[in-house]
Amino acid sequence: MNRLLIDIGSTYFKIAEQGKIEQYFRNFDKSILNDLESKCADVISSYNKDDVYICSSANGGLSTLIIGLSNSFSLKYAVNIAFNSGINIIDTVLYNNISNETPPKDNIDVVIIVGGINSVDNIFDEKIFEYLNNVNYQNIVFVGTEKSHNYLQNNIKDIVLLENIISDKLQIREDELKSYLTDLYQADIMGKEDIKQLYALTNNQIFSTPYIVNRALPKIHEHIDVADPFIVVDIGGATTDIHYSRDLVNDNILSSSGYDRLVFKKLGVYKSRESLVHIAKQNEFVFELLEHLNVTENILEEKSDEATRVLMQLSIFLVLYKVSKHHASYIELNLEILNNIILTGGITQVLTQEDVDNITLFFYKKILHFHHTPKIILDKNYEIWTYR
Amino acid sequence: MKVVTGVVGNDIHVVANRLIDISLAERGFEVFNLGVNTYLEEFLDAVIETDADVLLISSLNGEAEGWCRDLQILKSQYNFRDNVIFMIGGNLVVGETTAEEIVPRFKSYGFDLVFHQVDLNEGLDQLELFLKASK
Amino acid sequence: MTLLQREREIIVRNEYIDHFDFDEVKEFISGASKNLFISHRFKNSKEILVQPRGGFPTYDKVFELYKEFKDANVDVLPLTIDSNTRLNDYATAKKMLSLSEANDTDMLNGYPLVNHGYRTTRKMITHYDTPVSLRHGTPDARLLIEVALASGIFEIEGGPITYLLPYSKNFPMDKAFLYWKYVERVCAEYSKLNEPINRESFGPLSATLQPPAIVIVIQLLEMLLSLEEGVKSFSVSFSQTGSMLQDIVSSNVIKKLARHYADKFGHDDATINLVYHQWMGAFPYNREYSDSLINTSTVIASMIGADKIITKTRNEAFGIPTKEANALAVANVKYTLGMLKGLPKVGDEEEEENLTNEVHEILEAVFNDGADTLWRQVFNSIKNGYIDIPFSPHIINANKVITVRDKNSNIRFFKRGSVPISDKSFAFEKSKISLKDGDRVVDKIIQDIGIML
Repeated sequence: MNRLLIDIGSTYFKIAEQGKIEQYFRNFDKSILNDLESKCADVISSYNKDDVYICSSANGGLSTLIIGLSNSFSLKYAVNIAFNSGINIIDTVLYNNISNETPPKDNIDVVIIVGGINSVDNIFDEKIFEYLNNVNYQNIVFVGTEKSHNYLQNNIKDIVLLENIISDKLQIREDELKSYLTDLYQADIMGKEDIKQLYALTNNQIFSTPYIVNRALPKIHEHIDVADPFIVVDIGGATTDIHYSRDLVNDNILSSSGYDRLVFKKLGVYKSRESLVHIAKQNEFVFELLEHLNVTENILEEKSDEATRVLMQLSIFLVLYKVSKHHASYIELNLEILNNIILTGGITQVLTQEDVDNITLFFYKKILHFHHTPKIILDKNYEIWTYR
Repeated sequence: MKVVTGVVGNDIHVVANRLIDISLAERGFEVFNLGVNTYLEEFLDAVIETDADVLLISSLNGEAEGWCRDLQILKSQYNFRDNVIFMIGGNLVVGETTAEEIVPRFKSYGFDLVFHQVDLNEGLDQLELFLKASK
Repeated sequence: MTLLQREREIIVRNEYIDHFDFDEVKEFISGASKNLFISHRFKNSKEILVQPRGGFPTYDKVFELYKEFKDANVDVLPLTIDSNTRLNDYATAKKMLSLSEANDTDMLNGYPLVNHGYRTTRKMITHYDTPVSLRHGTPDARLLIEVALASGIFEIEGGPITYLLPYSKNFPMDKAFLYWKYVERVCAEYSKLNEPINRESFGPLSATLQPPAIVIVIQLLEMLLSLEEGVKSFSVSFSQTGSMLQDIVSSNVIKKLARHYADKFGHDDATINLVYHQWMGAFPYNREYSDSLINTSTVIASMIGADKIITKTRNEAFGIPTKEANALAVANVKYTLGMLKGLPKVGDEEEEENLTNEVHEILEAVFNDGADTLWRQVFNSIKNGYIDIPFSPHIINANKVITVRDKNSNIRFFKRGSVPISDKSFAFEKSKISLKDGDRVVDKIIQDIGIML
């Protein structure tokens, strides 16, 4: 059966049929649907609506605020589930510190509250309502102890109550929250006229691109030469996405996915350029790196093509650095045992194989004291999203 | 009564860990066993998530001190309810150190009950006595 | 190039590996001496093969160890891998190896095979011209077994369950299944070139009050996972339970059912052998008692008709034995075996029927899982607690099964957890247990673990 796959990105869209991929820059004067139809009307009209599959990262994804009782359970589990559901922007608040935390100024698509196994009562009090009063949010969901259901329901308008993500044995339960978040994404799309119109082309659900990529990874070996454990790095305009084999982390999460995902929200080469430069300047290795690339610090302030290339290389370095054992954060990946790094997204259109090999080797030599690197694969055609 | 238990640090003594689990359950406790190789923060987080009455850390390889020295500091970052009991037992240090020396030291780290090279049943009997007395 | 071969090219492209020459390795295996293949020995020997344990960090020390073993007339040599290599941490292994070489002290608890490389190691293996068995405990052994096979090591121990549940807390089990699938496939591929490569499962598991039904189920499942990838020679194994009767019953049931399930799944051309591990639990601090324990287990190995016995030493309670003590153990076992030829087959019908039923009952539940591949059925069954081993550190293990010994020291289910043995089978188990009122189960377990002390 022939299928037509369409991926809507923030700068361009891609159309894949029978392994052949075409890319088109988006015309922002037109709606996505009009733009698509003006550029590939023939192709699209030759497919039945049942055979057209669309995924999108154009709308930026949902922003999330997670309020949890502990780092090792509530927050860790909720963050894991949220990332794997395709959510990009995640802020976390430890409930114990909630009175001292400044609520985020931005509009939050969904607030997730979690804490306690089902037998525990009286975890939450007025503090949470005071905090939430200052948060601008669209949706709110509770995935902690059942004993708090009544209390929260009586005090928070429209709160959705789902199965506790922490089991009685303190293990993760991901299903209900995961489908809630993917459905919410769906609803979010429906709220965005631009994307909603795309249902004129397909009878299938429109998913977020990272969700589709994550789902495709178990099949990746059939298409390109990679061996577990590997990471997929998608450095975009605003955020950077990493999908990683589960055995790269030493973590007590017993989840069903072979690959987990994580996002750095301020590591992008266009929209987040400033914060990328800021993060870079604070990194102790960055001057050696610039020297290695034979450029001066001034390049970071320039807007040239050369500057973009350097920034992209810099972002590869920073991403690896941020997940390495030298930088404790949400997770730490055992990069020593990596077999492959797959780079996808916009940077594959700018950087050459030599550029990426060069910067990765710098990282492996400088940080891990290795002499060579895992094999780097450039997903030039950006086709991972088509695997199934 | 809820008890969170596990073996702290890079310690893989699974047999001791399971025996404590089974013994606690047999004495009527509700047990949350975090298993071997558990870090101090995970223990405290589990106490919070389960609203446990007792935290029973065990350590068999003599490295307890390095892992538990900061208990007091870490505790201050949590909002525990008043009567949570912090207990540690096992082979707490290597070498010839006596219990007379070790017990006060670990109590100063923030433990209420400290058992160095004490038999499992004896330790748990003591815990039950302590619980009765503190009622 | 096949998918497998493409993956192999990626795996051997590693910081710690010199160029890996697949063509040369293929040629080496094709022309390798038959004496290196344990599968060949199994075929042509009526006697129980004796294999000690042991491994040292440096080449020279292993070389000397092997010499010592050969002088004791050993049948199969062990190569035990260090714990850094088991975790794929070749950087630390390398550092510790050079420290061991420089200072003449052992900084590793085994041989860092990947760091030594196959070109070097092969010299030693071919020099002794004796089968070598790879003992490790690695969930991701892909690179390790490439180097082992290229070195002339033609028996690979382990499996996705038996090398994971007893050793790891959180290595993702689905990945372990996929990594072991690679191992099976490589072994299968090389098996076409000369004599078959032998795969052996690790029956002792956590070596503490393991119920025979669970041990046998796991042995049979690892066997099937291996045979379905094309392996033609497989050893199931278990360790001394502490009850001679239970060892006899276990051996009769595992032999019968291994053949039954291998044939049932269409692998009638595969050879299945039985390996017996001498006592794997805590040893007495008394060397004379240890001698007696080892002798008894040698007798049992003969009674049950094992094809290979893996030995312990009288110094077990005191740490890693010297090479001399280890060689002496081999000589003693061989001496004892000399007296035990042509023993009659013994059994216990009622016990065998019950154990057979339990194994069938658990396997039926595994095969009824809705997943589309065997490994996923097994994976789900472990997640569901159908397969649950006592004293595993792994977060996936249900930890609901509790076992104790009956008055004849047989290991019995005291609590079956979610293990799907029938009420009838469970009632049989319970009927054998005699706990007095007021006895604490935990005291009984402690006593039962320390049965040999």
